[in-house]
Amino acid sequence: MGDRYDIAIVGSGPAGLSAAINAKIRNKNIIIFGNKNLSSKVEKAPKVNNYLGFYEITGTELRDQFQKHINSMNIDITTERINTIYAMGEYFALAVNEKMYEAKAIILATGIEYTKPLKGEEEFLGRGVGYCATCDAPLYKGKVVTIIGYNREAEEEANYVSELAEKIFYVPMYKAEYNLKRGNIEILKDKPLEIQGDDRVRNVILKNETIATDGVFVLKDSVAPNQLVPGLLVENDHIKVDLNMSTNIKGCFAAGDCTGKPYQYMRAAGQGQVAALNAVSYLDSL
Amino acid sequence: MISEIKDTNFAEIIKSSSEPVVVDFWASWCGPCKMLAPVIDEISGEIGDKAKFFKLNVDENPVTSTQYKIASIPTVMVLKNGEVVDTLVGFRPKDAIKSVIEKHI
Ligand SMILES: Cc1cc2nc3c(=O)[nH]c(=O)nc-3n(C[C@H](O)[C@H](O)[C@H](O)COP(=O)(O)OP(=O)(O)OC[C@H]3O[C@@H](n4cnc5c(N)ncnc54)[C@H](O)[C@@H]3O)c2cc1C
Repeated sequence: MGDRYDIAIVGSGPAGLSAAINAKIRNKNIIIFGNKNLSSKVEKAPKVNNYLGFYEITGTELRDQFQKHINSMNIDITTERINTIYAMGEYFALAVNEKMYEAKAIILATGIEYTKPLKGEEEFLGRGVGYCATCDAPLYKGKVVTIIGYNREAEEEANYVSELAEKIFYVPMYKAEYNLKRGNIEILKDKPLEIQGDDRVRNVILKNETIATDGVFVLKDSVAPNQLVPGLLVENDHIKVDLNMSTNIKGCFAAGDCTGKPYQYMRAAGQGQVAALNAVSYLDSL
Repeated sequence: MISEIKDTNFAEIIKSSSEPVVVDFWASWCGPCKMLAPVIDEISGEIGDKAKFFKLNVDENPVTSTQYKIASIPTVMVLKNGEVVDTLVGFRPKDAIKSVIEKHI
């Protein structure tokens, strides 16, 4: 389990990095999760002209500047993807598969890229719709399960669930050689349109057919913020924050694109700073 | 510690209780359930006698789990006079669960 950090920052784009440097300046013991390339949205920008002080700069150049800045402050990115964050009351537990990190405060700076939920997905959440197939698989012993997979890891989950369920429909949302093991998995190369049911899930409507199913698992790369942090208040697809960048959960702050529009570097960096400073005040108040 | 409720005594306990009954549906293989357990413990300590807290292992008690249509765990159910008055599916922060339970006290 290791030690408990003061602040855990999730996301290594401009919002997360700005939060990290400001929390570090205030001498807090921090950990920041993200990617080696920091943010593909920074890297991909052809030309940036609205970042004060850096004009006519390319995204890659801007990323290199960010990298130099964090290096100079001895901030290392922990290149792990956080699956779930549990608000335990006194602290937060951040889960990376089986591993756990603990922090007294958290800053969500995950950007925005999650795919829109399917029609009926939110309505039937917990009544047949789930996001963790391996977690809920035993509840579907001997039943029919549909897995809508957005990435290759979903194939592993399908293989696992197929050991318990009677029948699996696998709907891949990407093109690849599918590594699906057992005979009870049927691949449906079709487009899911809607999840339907009454008091619980009954059908998945695809473009070309409708299938009867007891459960549907939607397995995506990036999850919506209220799945990442159960209990987090989200409004119009964005994390709801006040002017201090506080969310509805005590000790949980958010910054950057995940809190709303406009999607811009300077807004993200500014919010990251506000979030970090308020996280520091929160820690001081404990 | 929160006591276990089972298929065999479920009906009796929820009917005979005049306080709200809180049931945490869980299983040993469920990660989020493990995270929720200490949170429910704390809430039960803080709420005291004003509500009764139980946990139900869905693997060992299929009758109740099926009857209450448990499709995802953890699920926390609040029952009053034998009727379900609130259901929370998935992990929730401590304050969120506590305020839902307090509504029924
Ligand atoms: C092509 C392009 C050009 C753009 N040009 C401009 C421009 O000229 N000017 C401008 O102001 N804006 C521009 N933008 C918008 C800008 O990129 C975004 O507003 C900005 O990157 C938002 O920063 P952020 O820190 O909120 O999120 P992001 O930069 O999206 O960073 C979030 C990071 O968090 C990581 N992450 C997410 N979830 C997790 C998790 N669970 N665990 C660990 N890590 C996680 C992501 O992988 C990502 O690296 C452009 C965007 C694009 C795509």
